[in-house]
Amino acid sequence: MAKLLVIAEHRNGEISEGTLELCKAAKEVASALGAEPAAAVFYKDDSLANELAKYIPEVFAVVDAKLENYNPDTTADAAKAVIDAQDVAGVLIPHSYDGVDYAARVAIAMDCGIVSNCNNIAEEGGKAVFTRSIYNGKIQEIKSVKGDKFVATFEKGAYDPEAEGSAGSVSTVDATINDPRRKMKEIVETMAGAVDISQARIIVAGGRGTKDKDKYNEVIVSLAQKLGGEYAASRPVVDSGWTDAARQVGQSGKTVNPDLYIAAGISGAIQHVAGMKGSKCIVAINKDPEAPIFNIATYGIVGDLFEVLPAFQENL
Amino acid sequence: MKIAVLVKQVPDMESKFKIIDDSKVDESQIAFKMNDFDEYAVEAALQLKEKYGGEVIIVSSGPDRITKEIRQAFAMGGDWGVHIKDDQVDAGDNFVVAEALYKAVESLGDVDLVLSGVQAEDDQAAVTGAMIAGMMGVPHCTNCVKIEVGDDQKSLTVNRELEGGLNEVSDMPMPAVLTIQSGINQPRYPTLPGIMKAKKKKLDVKTAADLGASNVGEAGSKTQFIKMFFPVAEHMAEIIEGDAPAAAAKLVEKLKNEAKVL
Repeated sequence: MAKLLVIAEHRNGEISEGTLELCKAAKEVASALGAEPAAAVFYKDDSLANELAKYIPEVFAVVDAKLENYNPDTTADAAKAVIDAQDVAGVLIPHSYDGVDYAARVAIAMDCGIVSNCNNIAEEGGKAVFTRSIYNGKIQEIKSVKGDKFVATFEKGAYDPEAEGSAGSVSTVDATINDPRRKMKEIVETMAGAVDISQARIIVAGGRGTKDKDKYNEVIVSLAQKLGGEYAASRPVVDSGWTDAARQVGQSGKTVNPDLYIAAGISGAIQHVAGMKGSKCIVAINKDPEAPIFNIATYGIVGDLFEVLPAFQENL
Repeated sequence: MKIAVLVKQVPDMESKFKIIDDSKVDESQIAFKMNDFDEYAVEAALQLKEKYGGEVIIVSSGPDRITKEIRQAFAMGGDWGVHIKDDQVDAGDNFVVAEALYKAVESLGDVDLVLSGVQAEDDQAAVTGAMIAGMMGVPHCTNCVKIEVGDDQKSLTVNRELEGGLNEVSDMPMPAVLTIQSGINQPRYPTLPGIMKAKKKKLDVKTAADLGASNVGEAGSKTQFIKMFFPVAEHMAEIIEGDAPAAAAKLVEKLKNEAKVL
């Protein structure tokens, strides 16, 4: 039977949570698509394959010293070997930093279509259909792939991670892994020694809607200080240099779970939400009533943050 | 150094979105602008040109209205451009657009670097850059937050952004495709002389056929659009009504007595 194949990702010798989410997705939808759930993992030894087999019935391992760290060229070589050796109907890849770096290469190798950044896969008329966010999460679209094979990437959190179960089978696939053209030198920590906002009980975060550095300081920083908490920001604020990268909350920044998270002038793009959705109480202040941040907030005020926040501070 | 920058026009995400026939967004309600990530890519290209010489060529695909963004990139300092103007490319999927962009880049001859934003704000696919690299048969790096050119001007050292503040540092040869993450630089504003000069810069208009791109339209696409819809929120915040002072006062009260977090 054809395989619905998850390509695992790993960093520092650990399988990512996004991989386990896709194991869940593959197990849920495979039989409806006339396929069996399986996963492929590419690493320097078979340790990760044995680990991954606790989450999915069948694992294909490509083992080579060149596969210790992720690289798009070596990953494409290994993926091609598994796809050539097996009847693969579809490939599921995390829409992560590594996933977006190589997913298109797998689609080219398979000569098939790719649907990226999906949040759901379902079966309709025997074919896979994919739901994905467009226009910064304001609209969802449904797409399918022509032909009998597909590659799809999935946003983090689209599925719950699969729980550990009984061990599945592991088989090794022979592959020729060429020397990569892009050669990794090192992985560096860009925020070493900087402030750690992840322990704060109260966080006041500002987004693009705070307009400029002075206004960000005036409304966000001062409120955070009055509340005895930390100030934080979404990506555009950091990109513009209004505050330090160490205060960025989201996929590329910090993950925080405070008791109170006040998001002002933040639209609620999934990359930001990924870093703060575990907060106990979320307050959203935004002038756009359709901003996705209101879908995850506890309390919301539709209004101008420059009027609401000073009034809020006066009432403390 | 010959650098091609791929630029896309996208809707302003704060526009009022209205869906027509479950299949498209009502453009009459939309304000358009340059994809944010592409502004960083244009700036990155201009900084490389200032250091190493050469030219920066803007490549963009879309209807007549995208000339505004191409001219904006010219006003920032882009030298000239290619406008792929073909309804059948616009009607295609990522693969169709990537092939047209790839053919346009090939037509420039001996390009050292292709830069684009890490993703488009509208379709959020983040696949075009890597796809074009695959078609060109050259290496790529996505999510670049730092670019250094080697002394030989034939190689690069790039930082690729990873989760949680990590960067992967790699060496790679040119030609290459890099997708640029926001925050890598501070994109310049066009100056008035820049805007004046932009009007006279060369903009070649090409169709898919001119470029030799054979996969076009729905037929040439590898994916199929089914429908679009507004998401139904599973959860909606309790919206506190009233003018700013009244709403703020109520919020404080709720945070103290209901949520008990103050």
